[in-house]
Amino acid sequence: MLEKATLQTLIEEALETGADFAEIFLENTNQSVIRVTSGEVTNISRNNVSGAGIRLIQGVDEVYGYTNKADETSIRNIIHNLRATYQSEQVKATPLGEAKPYVHNAKRPMDSVPVKEKTDVLVRLSNIMSQHDERIVQSIAQLIEWEQDILVVNSHGTYQDDKRTYIRAVMMAVAKDGNVMQEAYEGPGRFMGFEMVEEIDLDALAKDVAISAINLLTAEDMVSQVMPVVIHNGFGGVIFHEACGHPLEATAVAKGLSPFVGKMGEKIASDVVTAYDDGNVEGAWGRLSYDDEGRPTQKNLLIENGVLKGYLIDYRNSRKMKMDPTGSARRQSYKFSPTSRMNSTYIAAGKDKYEDIIKDTKYGLFAKKMGGGTVQPATGEFNFAVQEGYLIEDGKLTKPVRGAMLIGHGKDILFKIDRVADNLTFGQGMCGSLSGSIPTDVGQPTIRVQSLTVGGGGGKA
Amino acid sequence: MNYTQWLEEAKRKGFDDIEFFISGSKTTKISVYEGKVDQNVQSDVVSLSIRAVYQKKLVTAKLENLSDETMHLTLDALIENAQAITAEEPAIIYEGSASYPEVPVEDFDFSTIPTEDKIKLVQDLEASINGQEFVKQVQTTIYQENENSTQILNSKGLNLAHKNTFAYVYAVGVFEKGEDIKTAYDIKIAKQYNEFNVSEMAQKTLEKGRAKLGGTSLKSGAYPVVFSNDMFADILGVYSSIFTGEAAYRNLTALKDKVGEKIALESFTLIDDPLHPDAYFQSAFDDEGVACHAFSLVDQGVFKGWMHNLKTAMIFNEEPTGHASGGGIRPTNLYLKPTDVAFEDLIQPIQDGVYITDLVGLHAGVKTVSGDFSLQAGGFRIENGKVTTPVKMIVVSGNFFTMINAIEGIGSDLKFGLGSTGSPSVYIKELMIGGE
Repeated sequence: MLEKATLQTLIEEALETGADFAEIFLENTNQSVIRVTSGEVTNISRNNVSGAGIRLIQGVDEVYGYTNKADETSIRNIIHNLRATYQSEQVKATPLGEAKPYVHNAKRPMDSVPVKEKTDVLVRLSNIMSQHDERIVQSIAQLIEWEQDILVVNSHGTYQDDKRTYIRAVMMAVAKDGNVMQEAYEGPGRFMGFEMVEEIDLDALAKDVAISAINLLTAEDMVSQVMPVVIHNGFGGVIFHEACGHPLEATAVAKGLSPFVGKMGEKIASDVVTAYDDGNVEGAWGRLSYDDEGRPTQKNLLIENGVLKGYLIDYRNSRKMKMDPTGSARRQSYKFSPTSRMNSTYIAAGKDKYEDIIKDTKYGLFAKKMGGGTVQPATGEFNFAVQEGYLIEDGKLTKPVRGAMLIGHGKDILFKIDRVADNLTFGQGMCGSLSGSIPTDVGQPTIRVQSLTVGGGGGKA
Repeated sequence: MNYTQWLEEAKRKGFDDIEFFISGSKTTKISVYEGKVDQNVQSDVVSLSIRAVYQKKLVTAKLENLSDETMHLTLDALIENAQAITAEEPAIIYEGSASYPEVPVEDFDFSTIPTEDKIKLVQDLEASINGQEFVKQVQTTIYQENENSTQILNSKGLNLAHKNTFAYVYAVGVFEKGEDIKTAYDIKIAKQYNEFNVSEMAQKTLEKGRAKLGGTSLKSGAYPVVFSNDMFADILGVYSSIFTGEAAYRNLTALKDKVGEKIALESFTLIDDPLHPDAYFQSAFDDEGVACHAFSLVDQGVFKGWMHNLKTAMIFNEEPTGHASGGGIRPTNLYLKPTDVAFEDLIQPIQDGVYITDLVGLHAGVKTVSGDFSLQAGGFRIENGKVTTPVKMIVVSGNFFTMINAIEGIGSDLKFGLGSTGSPSVYIKELMIGGE
């Protein structure tokens, strides 16, 4: 990496462009992906992402350049190419300060663990799935690990490095019976090293995946209707992430593209909803010591008893919105300018019991495991696939159903949440948006939504 | 060291064979919001993808740090990785095809156009949309130019190179009528700068956005459904993986053991043509250096065979088909064969149906293995043979394999999407619609 004095000089040169803020982001990331298919080690690959991103801001305007050649000359060339843009009086750079310590607890970083030890675990998981039932025709266990080293410096004197260590085990099973084929998966991930395999009962999860795939073989196709939906804890929080988290990001709010613009202090959800975005959950997939602008991450209150309390704000949007940044600036890599993103986003635990919520529901859908989904920020419309679902009839779970798709509007669903259980857990995903694909946690206890449109292919005469 | 020296170094370390795929990308992106430049991004990135065979095992790596030190560490890690692979599968570095097709040279240098002109182009486009009837605002207006180069070099003497340039422009309009808010955009890809026509692009965006306003949901039930050419192309795109040798070998396709069998109605012919003149890009060779050529995956409803890379071709004892892409297998320009039926005639027999022009969440609502899909959709009603009022917030559900056996009609309006698939409009007898 470049010397501090060189970076100081480059920052000063960058301000000669007329920008009032300059930032250099340096990154070196190494990733390893190992895949076991039906008990055999089939693929191992490595991926290196390495380069520099240079950002200049003048007022609220921004220019960004990046290159994989992170040497002094290449960075200077980028600065010169970006230079033509601004004409204003030059501001002075604050001398670069000292880096603050970051948290790095990974006990077993990826390159300290023999590849054979990793493949042994994956082969075991694959075999657990395959041996569960002879109708399991394919079982895939994949280990994704990466280590990201970054250094961010800017004209406000920020000089901050950070090391992020991620690990994720993805398990997928395919079941086949006659012409019917169904698949199920799980993908737990953490901000830690290979010690994750001791902290999570992966064997039990592998078994669950196989059971889920087999259950889907005989599940009935969901019949389209509007009905109450009980969404289970953990990855069920993806709906809140998409329908409420994204519209609370400054990227949507600053442009007026969110239904929550100008609603600070107002009711945007029912009384039982309190929600946070937290960058500091120990060992969590969405954790960071410092955000990608070098600010310490924090716990941000978003909604308290249904009242809007906060947005997620990066530095550039903080200028537009005239509010403080919230330690929420993130980017996939040096190839993206940072912007406001989520870390670990969740609906806080309530007082209800999960069993009571089911018992008190006369008829509805129990969405036990959610799949992916999307939301269009400007309209607030969302859609989510239900990976594993059951009908609730007279307060009991009855038939398994497949192919259910939930659709609705973010601002409506928040008011329709009428029950919140006490069983908060997290699920892990990769969140894609303006600044690329980043690891985030979604989370919630079991909740009930009074009514939602549920689509599905069932009910044909 | 240079690439050739690294190839030799790898041989010295004991690799059987090794291949470099060198990919260069230079881009400029300009986005405008409310008349001002919102983002101006410039990039210059070269990455090196390695496929290496060590003791008959294939391992891969991708590098952006191209220093000698990183290269040495990577080669050593690849040896450890190769030793951990247990699957006995073909590991092939290719010596090259006998000949390669000619593809049109597209090398317009977009960087010769002054930045101010590009900024003005997007500003003009934004201004032409803003303030028009029902336009709430323009969310973003984007110009992006790309200069891509690839080179394949390997220890068997293969040395292939390709270069292309293109640029695209679009504006995302936010449309409002009463409580109803919709977004719409129309993307224009150009190989020459002068292909951009501001008033035409603005007009298309305005038409698309206004048409969506005032939509209502539908009563849940089974309806005849017509997919627009864009949307059926997207559906073909997500389901293209079921036609790959990899999916067949890994038990991840319901088409396994169905080669030579009828899997769809006779009207269904699916062709992959890397040189199709209407597609956005043409390719002479795939990512493993195999020459590309056109072939039918499905011919009049009969499944003809898999798309292969070098590995799966050998497993199935067939010829490689030129579909290796980034470590996997992907179509080049896959399309459904059109007919000569005009759109008006295609929908004419439908009394009460749905014309789908919008599908959301294709990554989440599609199961490629089972063929089931359930997708948020929007579009228009078809009443008495005519497209009428907008429809929004519905879910369309069905199964790909059932659907290709329930095609009532195919249009003449073949259009390629930005991905690698194309389609005309397609009329499906009946699909489930979830609504009110």
